[in-house]
Amino acid sequence: MSSRLTRATGTSLIGVAERRSSRSLLAMLAPIALVAAALALVPLWLGGSRVMMGVALLGLAFAGYAIGFNLIFGSTGQLFLCVGALAGVAGYGGAILADRGGLPILVSILLATLAAGLVGGLLSWIAVRRSLGVIFTGIITLIFSLTFENLLFGLGQLTGGEAGFQISSGAGTFLRELTPGYYLMLALVVLFLVVHGLLRRSHIGWGFRALRDDGVAAELTGVNVARYRVYAALIGAAMLGLAGATYAFTRGRISPTTFGFTQVDVVVLVMLAFGGIGSLLGPILGAVTFTAINEVLIGFGELRLLAYGALIIILFLWIPRGVIPTLGGLWRRRPSSSVDPPDDTPAPARREPG
Amino acid sequence: MTAIILDGIVLGLQFGLLAAGLTLVYGLGGVLNLAFGEMAVITAMVVLFAMEAGVPAAPAVGLGLVAGGLLGLVFDLTILRPVYRRKHEARVLLSLLLTLGVAFMVEGLLNWRYPLKALSLQIGGGAIEILGVPMRRGSLLASAITLVALGGLFLFFRSTALGRAIRSVIEDEEGAQLVGIDPHLMLRLILILSGVLAALVAVTRSMVTPVNVKAGFGITVFALIVTVVGGLGTVSGAFLAGVILGVVSSIAASYIGTFLSLVILLMAAALTILIRPSGLLGVRE
Amino acid sequence: MLEVSRIYAGYQGNDVVHDVSFHVEEGEAVMIIGSNGAGKTTLFRTMCGLLAASSGKVRFRGEEIAGLPAQHIVRRGIGFVPAERHLFPRMTVQENLSLGAYPKRPDPETMSVVIDLFPRLAERRRQRAGTMSGGEQQMLAVGRALMSRPRLLVLDEPTTGLAPKLAHEAYEALQVLRRQGLTLLVAEQQVPLAMAFCDRGYVLENGFVRLEGSSQQLAADPRVRTAYLGVT
Repeated sequence: MSSRLTRATGTSLIGVAERRSSRSLLAMLAPIALVAAALALVPLWLGGSRVMMGVALLGLAFAGYAIGFNLIFGSTGQLFLCVGALAGVAGYGGAILADRGGLPILVSILLATLAAGLVGGLLSWIAVRRSLGVIFTGIITLIFSLTFENLLFGLGQLTGGEAGFQISSGAGTFLRELTPGYYLMLALVVLFLVVHGLLRRSHIGWGFRALRDDGVAAELTGVNVARYRVYAALIGAAMLGLAGATYAFTRGRISPTTFGFTQVDVVVLVMLAFGGIGSLLGPILGAVTFTAINEVLIGFGELRLLAYGALIIILFLWIPRGVIPTLGGLWRRRPSSSVDPPDDTPAPARREPG
Repeated sequence: MTAIILDGIVLGLQFGLLAAGLTLVYGLGGVLNLAFGEMAVITAMVVLFAMEAGVPAAPAVGLGLVAGGLLGLVFDLTILRPVYRRKHEARVLLSLLLTLGVAFMVEGLLNWRYPLKALSLQIGGGAIEILGVPMRRGSLLASAITLVALGGLFLFFRSTALGRAIRSVIEDEEGAQLVGIDPHLMLRLILILSGVLAALVAVTRSMVTPVNVKAGFGITVFALIVTVVGGLGTVSGAFLAGVILGVVSSIAASYIGTFLSLVILLMAAALTILIRPSGLLGVRE
Repeated sequence: MLEVSRIYAGYQGNDVVHDVSFHVEEGEAVMIIGSNGAGKTTLFRTMCGLLAASSGKVRFRGEEIAGLPAQHIVRRGIGFVPAERHLFPRMTVQENLSLGAYPKRPDPETMSVVIDLFPRLAERRRQRAGTMSGGEQQMLAVGRALMSRPRLLVLDEPTTGLAPKLAHEAYEALQVLRRQGLTLLVAEQQVPLAMAFCDRGYVLENGFVRLEGSSQQLAADPRVRTAYLGVT
């Protein structure tokens, strides 16, 4: 890890923290602001069509999911195959608290987000305590996903079962109008990006990088691997929950398919295959790209799955860093540009041990 | 109660068969084949099309089994080539991602082209009584076939030189190389075998409930869970885990309904994995 | 019979073994001695196909074998008993030995030779390899390698973890094999034992061959005496 940093900055590790301060805060915020501005213009273009705005809104929700998953998997290598379920915990939780519990929407959303965060943290803690590797973490979280989905079906009284849940709280308010809802989601996504960016620059982010690059070495140098894993899971899961709960209230109805494994987790994976895992803007670029391409291809119905499957294969075989980072790398390597290596580092999944 | 337990055993044997193919491939080659369910669905379609073309049931099933074996071979020769170049965890992850991609492709293609097709092998005749409980012929035949398959696998691995050679690769890959065994060749054979087992899964399942083009994901997930609970690389572990989970699920279903019984099953699986990650009969690393 | 020329080998791009050359003639017993980390295991793994050499050649009975995978090298008549033994823990002694003969069926005559050499294995025929003691596992590992009737037997630290009495028994068994015409190559840390047994030897240090000579020559060499024979 130190050699990578040395190459990038030309100095030793010690000076890095200080040098990163104010100069690069702007460097981090600028791209986010740019993306936010570009996305803020979307309703001007699509605002006329309810269907298209719905798609855009969903796209942003997925961007939120992708950022949360990116934080958990990209930063600390925990394969959480329960993105949909964690979002669903907050989605259904918030809806139930508001509609059946009578709590105000904001309180419901906050409590639901907290619940999702705690569940994520718990899963991570269990994985750490039992020293589960990537695969087993994936399996356990997959089991959680399936359990959640079956609980939704089985506890029909509470959740509306297969048919789902029509959320009455918030009906008739600005939440249900697509454009305000869109901007709300956009605000959340920007918040997530800023939080992720700040984390990366903090000592927590340093811990993430250390543990991702070499968990054993990190542990030996005093980085408490367990703690950072659980932190990442807590924050990432809270993001998933917040996005899920907010989406639930803007859409007004949820069902098991809103937060299902095949509907959410799979899509998030494809998005990250587009945008790259581990980088700051990767998830949102991937989400936008995927949403756009998916809409263009909508006429092909199920055949799209064929394309995405092929894409996953091509991507992970030949372009493991994600389409956009690779294209960006090619762009940067033009003769006239500077030689700074990009900040996004590949996730442990693609690094060959030994 | 007997009825519930018998139902559980029938279900459990199905689970075990599901897991057998997957666990062998994982145990031997460190490869996770998430396209396993789709392989089963493809072979089901082969049998279906054969029967629709007028081929009688038994040869059609045979055709399906052959198709399964061929699929396994194709997998080894194509998709798994790049996977073999990696080792250990990198290999598992890459195999997971690539086979996932294949699974999507197959599911997308089949759902788009033949969305309504389903294989259903009707076994005629009335119910047969086992231990005082009337059981459907389809379930009985499926279980009988599964038991025969299990017996066959057992004999193969215990008593034949090839079977022992394959076991040795699971036990210690380098040790196997040192006695002249080629691990890649053994893996290829196991992949062919797992393809045949996938076909068997599809065929026996179709005797109980129709196998449609959407069944792939469910098959893969259950195969994965039972595999992990039973232990990687052990067929007996797969069947033991399968039967236990099947009976647990059946008992739970009679009290609290299908969905919640699935929750119980999943929780039981998760608990086993957490308490004993190497699986019921697995080897502690 | 075995000619190793200018082998460089290592892990992840870092060579651990540098420019190592040695040879073993038919009927000889040759030792490679050196302390921990000298590179003996890396050298042997490379020779036997478990590790790819960075460069260099290995010829066995006139044929190039460098770069071939282990399963092919073994079939040409080299038996390898690695330091970690690599037995099949959940399989019985009987099964382990039978597999030694792969792909041929285990020859009853060979089997009885092995049993004569290691009578304890006969008693434990049906015992799982993983449950046996270190010494018994070592015997099994050697026995398994012998089942394919190799011309050359290569052993990497055969006496590690064995009590002195068992270590002596192991070398006595090897002596019997020598008299039956088997060529032997042994890597050892327990230098006195190896020296008494072998004709010639090479001293490996930090991946380089530092010395070579007959056992007498090496035993008399003051550097060897200080470093490996504990003489001050």
